[in-house]
Amino acid sequence: MITLKNDSLEFRFPEVHRDARCTIEFQRTLRIPDDNRDYPLPPGLDSFPLRHIDDFARRLPEQWRRRGGVIMPMHQAEAMWISFEDYSGYPFAVKIATGKSCAISGNPWVNHLNKDPQDYVVLPEQPWLDGYCVEKGIIRQFVAMPLGKGYTAEEQLTGAAQHGGLQIVVFPMKRKRYKRLMARSSLTLHSPQVPCCISPESMGLAPGGRMRQEIHEDPYGLDAWDRQHSRRCFVTIANSTQWTAITGERPPTVPPSALEYTEAGLPWFEWYGGDAVAVDGAKKLEKLASVAQLGKKKGEAPLPENESVEVTRVVGLSAGGATLDREFTSDEILRP
Amino acid sequence: MTHFGKSIRTRREHLHLEDKRYSLRQVALRIGIEPAYLSKIERGEVSPPSEATTVRLAHELGEDPDVLLALAGKVSGDLQNIIRKRPKLFAELIRQLKEAPDHALLHVVREVRDGEW
Repeated sequence: MITLKNDSLEFRFPEVHRDARCTIEFQRTLRIPDDNRDYPLPPGLDSFPLRHIDDFARRLPEQWRRRGGVIMPMHQAEAMWISFEDYSGYPFAVKIATGKSCAISGNPWVNHLNKDPQDYVVLPEQPWLDGYCVEKGIIRQFVAMPLGKGYTAEEQLTGAAQHGGLQIVVFPMKRKRYKRLMARSSLTLHSPQVPCCISPESMGLAPGGRMRQEIHEDPYGLDAWDRQHSRRCFVTIANSTQWTAITGERPPTVPPSALEYTEAGLPWFEWYGGDAVAVDGAKKLEKLASVAQLGKKKGEAPLPENESVEVTRVVGLSAGGATLDREFTSDEILRP
Repeated sequence: MTHFGKSIRTRREHLHLEDKRYSLRQVALRIGIEPAYLSKIERGEVSPPSEATTVRLAHELGEDPDVLLALAGKVSGDLQNIIRKRPKLFAELIRQLKEAPDHALLHVVREVRDGEW
């Protein structure tokens, strides 16, 4: 089952094992400069709000209602990273797609797992995912852009602006395999149809600036995953105007720019994943043009405040360390 | 020593066995309180800390914030607000479910619906 808890998606598989639960949340962050330089990891600035699509069914376009799942607000050109947390160390395979194109392999969405090329990340080995796997050890940051302008990964890969949003499917490790691993290591609302007041244009995710982040190879093998039990969720992304019209809530404020953040002396992060092997970048994703590159070609300036920054304060985080904390609460951030 | 203090000390010391960053001093500094204050909390010499500090401590120690708040004799502010908005409904709901086994409660929890996509 998937439930919403404190703006995070909690995936539980009690039919597989009582420990089989993990949490996925979407972190607000600053957008790294899209200047073809490689940056370390930016901070987390608190999670994006999430709401059940069904709570606002009467105000939503039919296509949004049909998909189910949850809704999340993002400003145009705002960046985001995905945080994975598990309570017990229970391993999971997680597929992430944007606009129904896989963020790891670039291939069209399928509900099952593929190993060659690997199209999923493995928890708890992978604590977060910041963008598209474009090269070995390099991702391009997830940046929200309106569908239909040609910037999103979906439009660049498929030529169509059809889905937008984010898609997730989670597979737990097989119960027997988990036990061996442990031993070795010690309500749908049927609302009346009323005219919908929200325009159906959705937001999608596009490749932004380059960042150093490894996507780890699956150390367990495809056979470790319980492919009979999976849970999936569609995350619809609403722009700030839509979000307020739908929920009556104000969206979070626009995060500081990379320059403002860096000049305030706040830290960036590097993650050392130990001996883990990184997967190669996906050929399809490598060919994607970033938002800034595409904007230049179109004669547009889609990214405000895209100046390069010199990062001097970098905090190292390690896989075996005590915390992998790269998150700030909002009152810890210095706003200009 | 209170149950709250004993629980967090046990958990912190367990983590400290494998990672030196879970010393009393380092944990206190990471959650923004004085080490001497955390020491007193662990020994039950003072009342459990504020909700915000308890939640930070829960995140730091990998514990569930609601469980730690319950040990501290508190209910989180967001839950209080939910009940205050519809007190009659939620009071009735909670009373009716108080004896229900865990697996039955899980059926009541609202799931995120998967649709067609």
